[in-house]
Amino acid sequence: MSKLTSLRDAVRAIPDGALLALGGNTLNRAPMAAVYELARQGKRGLRLVKTAGAMDVDLLCLAGGVASVDAGFISYESHFGLCPNYRKGVEQGQIQANEHACYTVISALRAAAYGLPFMPVAGLKQSDLPRAHPYFARVRDPFSGQEVSAVRALRPDWAILHVQQADELGNARIEGPEYEDILMSRAAAKVLITAEEIVQEGHFRRSERKAQIPHFMVHGVVYQPRGAAPCSCQGCYPADEAEISSFLALEDAQALTSWLHERGRAGI
Amino acid sequence: MIRPCDMMAVTMARLIRDGETVFHGVSSHLPMVALLLAKRLHAPHAVHLNIGGGVDPAIARQDGISSAGGNLWADAAAALTLAEVFDLSMRGGLDVAFLSGVQFDSTGGVNASLIGDWKQPKVRLPGGAGSAVLIPTARRAILWRTKHDRRTLVNDLDFLTVRGHVSDLVTPLCHFTMHQGEMILKSIHPGTDIETIASSTGFPIRYIRLDSTPPPTPAEMAALKEVDPGDLRNIEFRS
Repeated sequence: MSKLTSLRDAVRAIPDGALLALGGNTLNRAPMAAVYELARQGKRGLRLVKTAGAMDVDLLCLAGGVASVDAGFISYESHFGLCPNYRKGVEQGQIQANEHACYTVISALRAAAYGLPFMPVAGLKQSDLPRAHPYFARVRDPFSGQEVSAVRALRPDWAILHVQQADELGNARIEGPEYEDILMSRAAAKVLITAEEIVQEGHFRRSERKAQIPHFMVHGVVYQPRGAAPCSCQGCYPADEAEISSFLALEDAQALTSWLHERGRAGI
Repeated sequence: MIRPCDMMAVTMARLIRDGETVFHGVSSHLPMVALLLAKRLHAPHAVHLNIGGGVDPAIARQDGISSAGGNLWADAAAALTLAEVFDLSMRGGLDVAFLSGVQFDSTGGVNASLIGDWKQPKVRLPGGAGSAVLIPTARRAILWRTKHDRRTLVNDLDFLTVRGHVSDLVTPLCHFTMHQGEMILKSIHPGTDIETIASSTGFPIRYIRLDSTPPPTPAEMAALKEVDPGDLRNIEFRS
């Protein structure tokens, strides 16, 4: 059964308030076309999950659509610097910053993927993070009696992942760095794939390079060339500095609306 | 005139020993270049681990925007995902993690989280990325920061993101090392003096034996230009 759909219809299925995992890392292979569409549809109260986010998180913050961000690092890295809209939202008390170590996001997703309520984690002993956040705790090892840190499971309602190749059934293949995308596909209740290329059914059967995300975990597939732009997509395109700068120059949600509208008319 | 980014890259490279497993993350062009330099010179068997997930990438294509991109995967022979690099550290297999932050204290505490009160921060920072688990589990955490002032090196952190196995802190002015739980001055970079460092540091400066950091050698400078033709080591000073 084909799961091929339009970006608009696919994103309509994601409700306000969803716990939403975004694939990629910083300015690399983030699902930007889907992020644009989430902003265009005016989604509210989204609770974002990512190890290291950048423009994807920052854009949704500017759109006013974010209630919380569970992440280890939110920044455009050294070249473009801090995420101004995320910062502002947190500093004004509109967005809850749930700071993790990147690994505790991974551990929380693993807990969900393994069907467990929490995951023990090494480290985090001398840190204010467990004091500041209720999703960290100290638990007793039932075998040795020693204390160990733990992080609560994060089971996303949806994971949105941009990949290089998918077929209509939802089998999806990532080339290059996988980041946390494969794990997210296992941890999330539902998965939306946007793809640079839709391959023929049977393509992965004939290839030695199998899809790492199997069709039955996937709920929607969207053909979206340049779907990670202006972030990079390995083997396809580098990050688009001018476009990122153009976004960073936007002052408010209204400016973002027209900026997104211009890009919508250009088919982005 | 020695550029601070060159002095820092060389100082950080000298801390890497041959054969060690070494990780750097996002916003980490300077330690990435330091690691490539060490591998070119005295530590050819150091193992380069990163977020892109390629082990010992050749990095034919430099990427000035991200130090976590696909170029760190493209020409590597083996893959180890970020999750697996963390796992390696958790089980005691990571020798060196390069990490940064915005505030540091004399006990090796790091704040990469926020300025002000954590319930209502004045400034929300990017967050510690892997720090809170890597600094306690890696054998050595080497810190770097391209700013050296009283707001950066402080007596009291606004928030303790993590304290753990910090071994060194490299700044544009000097090299600190941890000694019995205390951050002490180890060497002063050329072009500055202890008075400048003391007046730029929020915690008391203490030392056992004070050296001058040897300036970059001609061989180090030549290798730096080879491994970093795009001058990515200078990004944090430009921005």
